[in-house]
Amino acid sequence: MACGCGVDPNAGKVPLRYMAWGNPEQMALEQHLCEEFNQKNPDVHVSFLRVPGDEYGLKMMLMLASHTAPDVMRVDHYNFPSLVEKGYFLDLTDLANADTSFHRNDFFPQAIDECLYKGRLFGLNVLFGGVLIYYNKSMFREAGLDDPADLAKRGQWTWDRFRISAIKMTKRDADGHPTQFGFGAPGSGSTFPVLACAIWGFGGDMLDPTMTHAVFDSPGAIRAFQMIADFRWKDHSCPTQAQDANSLFTFEGGKLGMVFDFMGMTPRYRKVIHKFDWDVCPVPSGPFGNPTLCKGNQLVISAESSHPKEAWRFERFMTSETTENELYVKLRRCFPTRKAMAYSPEYLKSSLPPFNNWAFVDSVANSRPLPINDRWSEWMTAFSSEIDNLIAGRERDAGPVLRRAKIKVDKVLADEAGF
Amino acid sequence: MSVNRRKLTHQPGFWGFLFISPWLLGFLIFTAGPMIASFWLSFQKYDLVSIRYVGVENYRRLFQEDPLFWKSLKNTVFYALFSVPLGITGSLSIALLLNQNVRGQRIFRTCFYLPSLVPSVASALVWQWVFNADNGILNTTLRLIGITGPQWLQDERATPWAFIAMSLWGVGGARMVIFLAGLQGIPESYYEAAKLDGASSWKCFRKVTLPLLSPVMFFNLILGVIGSFQVFTSAYVMTGGGPNNASLFYALYLFRNAFNYFKLGKASAMAWILFTILLVLTLIQFKTSKRWVHYEGDDK
Repeated sequence: MACGCGVDPNAGKVPLRYMAWGNPEQMALEQHLCEEFNQKNPDVHVSFLRVPGDEYGLKMMLMLASHTAPDVMRVDHYNFPSLVEKGYFLDLTDLANADTSFHRNDFFPQAIDECLYKGRLFGLNVLFGGVLIYYNKSMFREAGLDDPADLAKRGQWTWDRFRISAIKMTKRDADGHPTQFGFGAPGSGSTFPVLACAIWGFGGDMLDPTMTHAVFDSPGAIRAFQMIADFRWKDHSCPTQAQDANSLFTFEGGKLGMVFDFMGMTPRYRKVIHKFDWDVCPVPSGPFGNPTLCKGNQLVISAESSHPKEAWRFERFMTSETTENELYVKLRRCFPTRKAMAYSPEYLKSSLPPFNNWAFVDSVANSRPLPINDRWSEWMTAFSSEIDNLIAGRERDAGPVLRRAKIKVDKVLADEAGF
Repeated sequence: MSVNRRKLTHQPGFWGFLFISPWLLGFLIFTAGPMIASFWLSFQKYDLVSIRYVGVENYRRLFQEDPLFWKSLKNTVFYALFSVPLGITGSLSIALLLNQNVRGQRIFRTCFYLPSLVPSVASALVWQWVFNADNGILNTTLRLIGITGPQWLQDERATPWAFIAMSLWGVGGARMVIFLAGLQGIPESYYEAAKLDGASSWKCFRKVTLPLLSPVMFFNLILGVIGSFQVFTSAYVMTGGGPNNASLFYALYLFRNAFNYFKLGKASAMAWILFTILLVLTLIQFKTSKRWVHYEGDDK
C-alpha cells in the first residue's frame, strides 16, 4: 500500500472506451482531450484506442459484429449510413432532448443532418468541413491574373474564369514537359470533389432524391464531366493520372496553381508552405451557383454501451465550444460545427494564412451532402470503373461514358443488398 | 487409473500426437474451423448482422449475373498463364548462374535473394515509381532507345503486362533457393560420366539436370500456380483493381466483397470456387507429372 503497488487509480470510475484514427498530430490532440475530460470528470475514465486509418473500417465492423465495440467511436460518414442502418449505434435523440444545454440550432444544419437517420439523431459531427480551393497567390500574381477571392467577392469567379486561370498558370519547359499545372485534384487521379462541385454548379446531380437511381446522364452532369475531362485532355491544365502519380505535382511543392481540397488541409499547408503566398477561395460558380460538398466524421455511441449517459457527456465534451475553439479556431484542423465559432472574430481573422476565412464559412453555408447511402462503396466502385475511361482519356465524350455509368450504378442500386 | 495412463502413454503415436498438438490445435482452430465455417457461409446471405440460408444462390449469381466475377477470373488466369512459366524459367536461370563456382558466389546469392526480403507493400510502391509513364525508370529507359512506353498503370491494355513483369521481382526468392538446393543435390559424377561420353553442356543440362530437377520443378510449379491465383497485394496497393477493372484479380474482388461490401456469403462462395479451381489444377498437374517428373529409384 505504501508504494501504491496494485492500486488502480481508476477503480470505482465508470470506464469508457473511445476509438478513433488519424495522423500523429490528430491522435496526440485526441489523447490530450481524453485526459482533459478525465480530469474534469473524476467519476469517468476514458481510455483512448488508436487504430491505423487503413484498418479502421474493418476493425470497427468486426468489433461491432463481435459485440466488443468501444462505447464511443469516430465513424467516417462514408460508413455511417450502412452501419446505422444495421442498428449498431445508439439513438441519441432522447439523450439530446433531455440535455438542456444541447441546442440543435447552435450547429450548422449540414452538421446535424449528417448525423440523422430516419429523423433521429445518432451522432455528433466532428472533423467537419467542406471542399474549397487552396490557391497559390504568388502564381496568380506572376501570371497577371486577378485574385480569385476578389473575383468571388464580386460574383465573377466562374468556371470560365477558373479555366482561363488554370491555362495561364500551366507552364512547360523547352522540351514540352510540364513544370507546373493550373490546378489539381486531391489524391492520385481522384477528381471526385471537383466533379461534385461542378455537377451541382451545372444543375446536375449524382443520384435522385430517393437514392435509388443514378442521374449522371442529366445534361448538367454531362456538361460538368465534359468540362473536367477537357481541362485535362484539351487544355492540359491539370496533370494526367500518370503525371499526378507519386506526388510529382503537389500544391505544397509549388507545382499547382490551385487545388480542390477539404478544409482540414490548413494545418499541413501552414506547416510546410514557406516559399510562396497562398490562400483560399470558394469553388467557381456555374449557371446554378457554386454549391460545394461537405462531410464530417460522426461521434457515435455503441448501441451495446453500458454507460450511454457518460458516453453522451464525453461526446458533448468533444463537441463543446472549448474543444471546437481549440481544434478548429486555433489549430484549424477542420471547420467548427458551431455557427457561433465559425462567425466569431477569432475564426474570421487570423495571423497566419489562409486569411480569406470567410470563404470557409461561405462554402459550408453553401454546401450539400454527398449522396452517401448504405450502398455507397459498391456504386462508387461501379461508377469509378466507368468514369475512369473519361478521366484517363481513353474516351473523350462524356455522354456515352455517363450513360453506361448510370446503367451500372442503377443495377447495383436495384440489386438486393448483401448478394 | 495409473495402468490406463501407462497404457495410453504406450499407445503408438501418443508422443507424436502430443508433440504436434500445438500445431494440430492451431490448424483445427485457425485453418480447418474457418474453412468449414466459410463452406457453410457460402450457402448463406450474411452481412455480419443478419444471416439467411439461400442455398446455391451465391454461386448462381456469381456464375450467371456477375460480370466482375468472370472479369476477375479472366484477369487472374491471364496473369497465371504468363507469370508462372516466366517465374519458373527466371528462378531456374538464376539458380543455374548462382550454382557456378565463381568468385563472390555468396555475395551474388545474397544480392539475388535480397529483393524477396522487401515487404510486398513496399515493393509495390517502388514498382509504382518504376511504371510511372512520364518519369518512371522503365519508360525513361525506353525513351533513350526511341520507344514511347505505354501508360503502364493507366492503360487497361498495358496494366496486365505490368503486373506480369512485376511478378518477376520474386524470381530470386524462395523458388530460386529450392532450385539451387535441387541443383546441388545432383551428384557431380553424373555430369562427369556424361562428359566422358561426349555430351555437350547443353546436352548435360537437358539429359541430366532437367530430369533430375523435375521433382523440384514440379513442386515449384504447383506452388507457383497456387500463388499466382492468389495475387492480391500488388493490385491492392498499386491500382486498386483499375484501370477499368484491368487489374481486378480474383483475390482482390473476393476481398472487396468480404470487407468492403460485407457480402460474406458471396465472398465465401468465391473462396470455395477458387479452392475447387486450384484443386482441379493441382490434380491435373499430378496426373500429367507421371510423364515428365523423374524420381530417382523410380522404375520408370
